[in-house]
Amino acid sequence: MRGIAVLSGTSHQSLTHDICQRLGISQGSASLTKFSNQETNVFIGESVRDVDTYIVQSGCGNVNDNFIELLIMIAACRTASARKITAVIPLFPYSRQPETPYNKNGQITSRVPASEVDKFAVLNASAAKKAAHMPAVLEVPGSVVPADGGEITLAQPLHHRASTIRTESAVSIDGSRGRLSSISVSQPNIAVTSLAPLPPSENLVRLKGATQGTYKHWTARSGTLVANMLMAAGADHIITMDLHDPQFQGFFDIPVDNLYSQPLMIKYIKERIPNYRNAVIVSPDAGGAKRATVVADKLNVDFALIHKERRPTETPNVSDMILVGDVKDKVCILIDDIADTSFTITRAARILVENGATKIVALITHGIFSGDAIERINASDINEIIVSNTVPQDQNLAKCPKMRVIDIAPIFAEAIRRIHNGESVSFLFDAVPY
Amino acid sequence: MVFTTDFAPSTIRPPSMTNSIKIFAGNSHIEFAKLVAKRLGIDLAKCVVVKYSNQETSVTIGESVRDEDVYIIQSGCGEINDNLMELLIMINACKTASARRITAVVPCFPYARQDKKDKSRAPITAKLVANMLTVAGANHVITMDLHASQIQGFFNIPVDNLYAEPSTLKYIKESIEDYQSIVIVSPDAGGAKRATSIADKLDVDFALIHKERKKANEVSRMVLVGDVRGRQCVLVDDMADTCGTLGLAAKVLIENGATKVYAMVTHAVLSGKAISVINNSKLERIIVTNTIPHDDKKLLCPKLDTIDVAATFAEAIRRTHNGESISYLFNYVPN
Repeated sequence: MRGIAVLSGTSHQSLTHDICQRLGISQGSASLTKFSNQETNVFIGESVRDVDTYIVQSGCGNVNDNFIELLIMIAACRTASARKITAVIPLFPYSRQPETPYNKNGQITSRVPASEVDKFAVLNASAAKKAAHMPAVLEVPGSVVPADGGEITLAQPLHHRASTIRTESAVSIDGSRGRLSSISVSQPNIAVTSLAPLPPSENLVRLKGATQGTYKHWTARSGTLVANMLMAAGADHIITMDLHDPQFQGFFDIPVDNLYSQPLMIKYIKERIPNYRNAVIVSPDAGGAKRATVVADKLNVDFALIHKERRPTETPNVSDMILVGDVKDKVCILIDDIADTSFTITRAARILVENGATKIVALITHGIFSGDAIERINASDINEIIVSNTVPQDQNLAKCPKMRVIDIAPIFAEAIRRIHNGESVSFLFDAVPY
Repeated sequence: MVFTTDFAPSTIRPPSMTNSIKIFAGNSHIEFAKLVAKRLGIDLAKCVVVKYSNQETSVTIGESVRDEDVYIIQSGCGEINDNLMELLIMINACKTASARRITAVVPCFPYARQDKKDKSRAPITAKLVANMLTVAGANHVITMDLHASQIQGFFNIPVDNLYAEPSTLKYIKESIEDYQSIVIVSPDAGGAKRATSIADKLDVDFALIHKERKKANEVSRMVLVGDVRGRQCVLVDDMADTCGTLGLAAKVLIENGATKVYAMVTHAVLSGKAISVINNSKLERIIVTNTIPHDDKKLLCPKLDTIDVAATFAEAIRRTHNGESISYLFNYVPN
């Protein structure tokens, strides 16, 4: 292939190596280091003048570092007169957007819905005092205010990092996925000034200076910003896989190719799961139902769904997970796009076993496995978990005997080849390149 | 409203004003933001900036910023990429929340040293950072002692490059005995302009240290241009990173007969072995501003002294918000 250079960021060098091997070219040389003050230093080692460059960087590990590195590499290629710059991002960072405080009718909730109450809860002064001595703000975004209304700032000198808090009830900023339930605080001096108004309740401590207005604080959604930054840096094309939110492609003005890992998963199911025709495809939450039904239809097998039912009035903090469908005496195949803390799939596995499933296999595209997710999976009812290598999995493979990795390098290599030669990529949406 | 010329902290919200001011702080330098807010007589606005378990940054704004004049204080130090992403996401959050104007207050501008293509295929990262700030939605940038003031040209939005020089001059006059006989020394040729400006304002002599490269692979030696025999010397530079240059410069000055050597630096990056280099060097004292937090380094280095520039930033914010001229701050220090 002529006129092409494939460069790698630091996040996933082995994937780039495999892609280049499949393409039959040598990997472009770029040196990526950090200055002593932690600034990223990018040096492109060969001429890219009038060359189509593909920069492979996944949004895993140290996400902000890798993302800025990607932007600097794109900018470097642009100032070096590359012809076209494509960012190949197997796992797209900041693709999950936090929920806005709206109810289903689109109105702003005047009362915080029951499932979100635990986000704001500081239930009494003693809990607040206890929290005041904790080394970091892990009850975010709950306001941590002592009863006398003073401000808590955590700019005191900290001599140890905070350990993660695992109570699901306390911290759950994104209700469906519990992503904040194990936060590792990387910077010791986070000052949490007391937050904006809480819903009125005798249990909650009055905040100093809080207005009684109807402002509900919300978490910033960084999707548009990330898209704008990639375009501002100079990318001309984006290739990614299994975007959490397919509408994300609309945030860009440049073409985005969203590849699918689903043909690979179907191939795995047909070849490696004995008696797959009697299996049941299960989606671990309602949001992933569409994804799972596509697979179920292609395989012509049954489908089931796990649903988090919320009971708003009686017990506001408890949500029940119920199974919709029948899995008795069947092999269950859980399908999801992202496994981060792995609460979702491990809870789903428990429900399936309680309902009579014989074996549980989980097929996940992006295995982030942050915090102690691997231990959770090892202790769970999942028999086998298959992830793709959009995120490097070498360390996780060593720790988790249940894990298998399917290689997505052929899909990306074939996509790059077709894009470079100007051929159609839609072949890859149904078939796996051999 | 009467705008007085004294600088006692005053409330910034007279009842006739319809939009008020909100100051947010990222995680890079919260103490500095608190000092600025205290000078202005207001509280820091409520926001929470943390990381998800997968290391993505999450920003939650705790107050309404609709039609407000928002100032976000975040310095380019520590974990620079993380702090930069925090700043960008905070700016973007305020923009989508309909703030009237968003000003990024960045005491130490990140990636300022990568501002030119000095070898093939080197990225101009300072330009990238300028683009990103603009794309995120900033309308205005306030910073201090940019490594090259031409970086202001990378932006299409207004940039206020404040100077630490008045604070430096004040420190020299107050804390160095017999300052009329000192010599201002620039540790390299690039900083000559900065040093001569200070020397002229103090009406003292000036000297320069030049790295001479005889041949390509020979170790360069440092040559003093000017006379420092029997005089106290003050090295002036904008950034102290690994401090290799400063340590060598101090050695050269002492060898050439200087009595004492001070160093005055605006941005104290002090990464790697900088503290041990300073402790083992011939420097008497190194004075830095608090654009970058360094309290932990002060415990290890008794020679480190701090000038507080929060007052300058607070005054700049006040004047920007009220629509007054900032040029007063280029020559005077608010007390």
